Amino acid sequence: MSTIAPEFRLSRFIASLTDLIFWILVLFTLVGLPIVMIVLFYIELPVINGELLTPYLALTWLADPSRTLPIIKSLLYTDFFRIAAFPGFGFAALLASAIIFIERKFLAKMQLRVGPLYCGKVEGILQLMSDGLKLLSKEIIIPAKADKPIFWAAPLLFIGTAAALVSLIPVAPGWVVADIDVGILAVFAVIGFFPIITVLSSWASNSKFPFIGGIRALHQMISFEIPLILSLLGIVILTGTLNLTEIVESQQHYWWIIFMPIGAIVFFITLLAELERIPFDLPEAESEIVAGWLTEFSGMMYGLVQLGSYVKLYAFAALFTILFLGGWNGPMVWPPFPEEIITEGITMGPITVKIPGLPLLDQEMLNATLWFVIKTVVVIMVILLPRGVFPRIRIDLLLHTGWYKLIGLAFVNIFIALALLYAGVLGPGGLIQ
Amino acid sequence: MSTVAGIIRALNSGVKHLAVKRFTLRYPEQKLKFVGDGFQFDPQTGIGIAGLKGRHILFHDKCTGCQLCAIACEGIAEAIAMVKVNNTWKHNKKAIMPQIDYGKCVFCGLCVDACPFYALYMTNDYELSSFTKEALIYTPGQLAVKPKVAQDVEIKIDNRGATHG
Amino acid sequence: MTTQLPPGMQLEKVDERIMTLNVGPQHPGSGHMRLIIKVDGDHIVSCDPDPGYVHRGEEKMTEYRNYIQNIPHLERPVIHDSCNILYPYCLAVEELLGIEVPERAKYIRVIASELNRCVYTLYWLGIYGIFLGHSTMFMWPMGDRELLIDLLEALSGARVTHAYFVPGGVRNDTPSNFEEKCLRHVNYFEKRLKEYEDIFYQNPVLKQRTEGTGILSRMDAIRLGTTGSVLRSAGVDFDIRKKEPYDVYENLDFQSQVLKEGDSYARSRVPYLDMLESCRIIKDALKKMPKSGSVRTKLKPNPKGGNNEAYRRVESGRGSLGMYVVSDSKPEPYRVKISVGSFRNMICMPYLLKGEKLGNMPAVYWSLNYWPVEADR
Repeated sequence: MSTIAPEFRLSRFIASLTDLIFWILVLFTLVGLPIVMIVLFYIELPVINGELLTPYLALTWLADPSRTLPIIKSLLYTDFFRIAAFPGFGFAALLASAIIFIERKFLAKMQLRVGPLYCGKVEGILQLMSDGLKLLSKEIIIPAKADKPIFWAAPLLFIGTAAALVSLIPVAPGWVVADIDVGILAVFAVIGFFPIITVLSSWASNSKFPFIGGIRALHQMISFEIPLILSLLGIVILTGTLNLTEIVESQQHYWWIIFMPIGAIVFFITLLAELERIPFDLPEAESEIVAGWLTEFSGMMYGLVQLGSYVKLYAFAALFTILFLGGWNGPMVWPPFPEEIITEGITMGPITVKIPGLPLLDQEMLNATLWFVIKTVVVIMVILLPRGVFPRIRIDLLLHTGWYKLIGLAFVNIFIALALLYAGVLGPGGLIQ
Repeated sequence: MSTVAGIIRALNSGVKHLAVKRFTLRYPEQKLKFVGDGFQFDPQTGIGIAGLKGRHILFHDKCTGCQLCAIACEGIAEAIAMVKVNNTWKHNKKAIMPQIDYGKCVFCGLCVDACPFYALYMTNDYELSSFTKEALIYTPGQLAVKPKVAQDVEIKIDNRGATHG
Repeated sequence: MTTQLPPGMQLEKVDERIMTLNVGPQHPGSGHMRLIIKVDGDHIVSCDPDPGYVHRGEEKMTEYRNYIQNIPHLERPVIHDSCNILYPYCLAVEELLGIEVPERAKYIRVIASELNRCVYTLYWLGIYGIFLGHSTMFMWPMGDRELLIDLLEALSGARVTHAYFVPGGVRNDTPSNFEEKCLRHVNYFEKRLKEYEDIFYQNPVLKQRTEGTGILSRMDAIRLGTTGSVLRSAGVDFDIRKKEPYDVYENLDFQSQVLKEGDSYARSRVPYLDMLESCRIIKDALKKMPKSGSVRTKLKPNPKGGNNEAYRRVESGRGSLGMYVVSDSKPEPYRVKISVGSFRNMICMPYLLKGEKLGNMPAVYWSLNYWPVEADR
């Protein structure tokens, strides 16, 4: 602490408290009440047990606790919950934050050292929270000649696009934010945004090193988009649909990675390049161009960009799981909900309590989520592994790989898929269903 | 295909190391062990005795105030100055003794080599930080105290790797 | 032109295509020196190294200190390789003063010198890894260095800047359990070195990045006056420990490592092979060392050299390190001239980097084994 605490005077303390209360009241009246009015006028309130759920009614749950679970259950199935919490942004951000910590510990173990250790009693678990608080408290410095609107908007655009990618991913049957019939095309459309945002933010920084980093990022991302698209055409040919949920449902008996391993490998390598992970982290090459296109970001802008990067990592790993590893399909390992609790209630001594509306989420959905999370975490671990093992690749080798070798392998994969389809092995009316 | 073989071998090496023990010394909770009591010098044979070059220790019953340590340090770091002390001894009629400024000392140990009376040695104490520069100047009285040095761990090597344990 | 430039500044024509990059002292990809690189797109047009940021006037300062007081002073240019930079000084002063060093002291000096060579090479290899983006190759050498620094701390009392060699021998004898501890650590260190093969030297990404870049031909290496691992990786078999052996190197059994290609990959591999040889040398020296004996010849107080001069040189981690000591009738030397391997090899930088791609810049320039502090003295 570099500031010396001033001496305590009671009059000043009471003055500051009164000031605080005044401002809270002002903000509540001038800002809070209009928001409540807007919510009440424009948002549709759900209907539970035949009654419209007004805020007044919601507060009466104190008197009748049997209303809590129906209220919570109705909230779980609203659109807002889907976007903000479960298969949408909240879930992705939580998983992304956990991945940041796991990556540091995983990499540390591979390098024979401890990672974060001191920030939480057990092996530094609270490190991420303290990092977030630190970034929040730092000053955001903008270079004088930078292009201010674009510079401010760039991190927000980045994390917005990453969240848009997350919204297309189905986690359990029926649990997807945007169930689009042309799901794969929508994924590519969103992925096409990322080079634009990178180049805009590096150009807006108005400095040499971000400029070089932005150009490299542009080269890298553009040259790897084509193998990305081509490697998935095999799956589209064999399933006949572009909808991601239907692709997962078509993998009930076998996974696509068994029949199209080359496509999986090509998709994996282009995934590493789109995410700017080692060995493809040229845009952020630290020893040559300080920090690449992120050089001029500081404080929470940097925090948002990092969070966006890891949300993107989760989204791509989830895509890999859905397309090649069977999504949420897996044997039923979640225990079923005990029937007696619904019919007879919970018994504790002389009291028997019946709680209506009890199975909040059904067993099938929980099992699906469990398998999805397990498979995604395994894929993420495999994505994290090259970071400790490979050095950085050079730009001309990168472009050579992207334009020659990977496109060639992707075409080989398409021919294999066509051969399997026309030989009648797979696809509708084939030998293996 | 040697590229693919190389990639698989590198990944395999990375995964193998997940089973090797971590090597880090968790410093404030674990401190390193030392062999011996610190660097010492025998002026008769002219050869030192191996040990860590840490903080000095001055034996008041042997120091005669001959200033050879200060003269040796003059060309190196000028960290030793002779100051007057209160008592007089038979062997130290001038009543002066060295005071060492650890802000300047480079811990080379040539002052220990210079002392002909077995009066100045170095100890295992290396944690000498302080908040002010004046506190780094150790008076002869402070130098006479033998430090307590915590020693817990050393490097152990077994078949799952080396570790500080 | 009516404007007067301040002294030391130059006028430079501004070109639209060529961008000047300062890979300067404040850059994660440089040491404490500056490279002024002119880039055309991705190709380097010219490179101008700018050393001198760490210049302290070492050679002038030696004239004010006597022969023993120069010991902690002269080891400062390379703090972790300090035994190797004091070695030629001690040999030269012993020649001037006519002192004979006991046998056990010679073996201990060889062991400490080889340990220091490994410590320096591991540090250099770690930074090479991180320049190429390979963070594991930074952590593993730094961790394995601890094994050897632990040995040096038990031997000399300090982790770096040992101040261990003196004219006449070494300052103190080995501690009690040193031989078996040294064998244990060096055996484990050899096992760790073999792990670097899979993850670094046979890694296809690294080979694609460094093979064929910055090629130094054999004639050019000799013509430019390079030394050390840069020379040996271009196909010239010149190791001072073999050609002009000092102390007990003629009794020990080792090979000097030579590779023929002369590219960055060979330059990064020769110090690694040197480290494996150092392990053999240490084990051999421990076996052949006399079990007891004095380790230091006592000097007269305030030794003076008379009007005489001596030049000795030693193979350090970076190349040949030589010291030319001129003495007169005072206890301080009249002149000490230090000739460092890093400064000699720096001539390769503008020569090799011209025409290279910008992506190859860290791989080529750090593979020249350049230590800025030593080059500036």
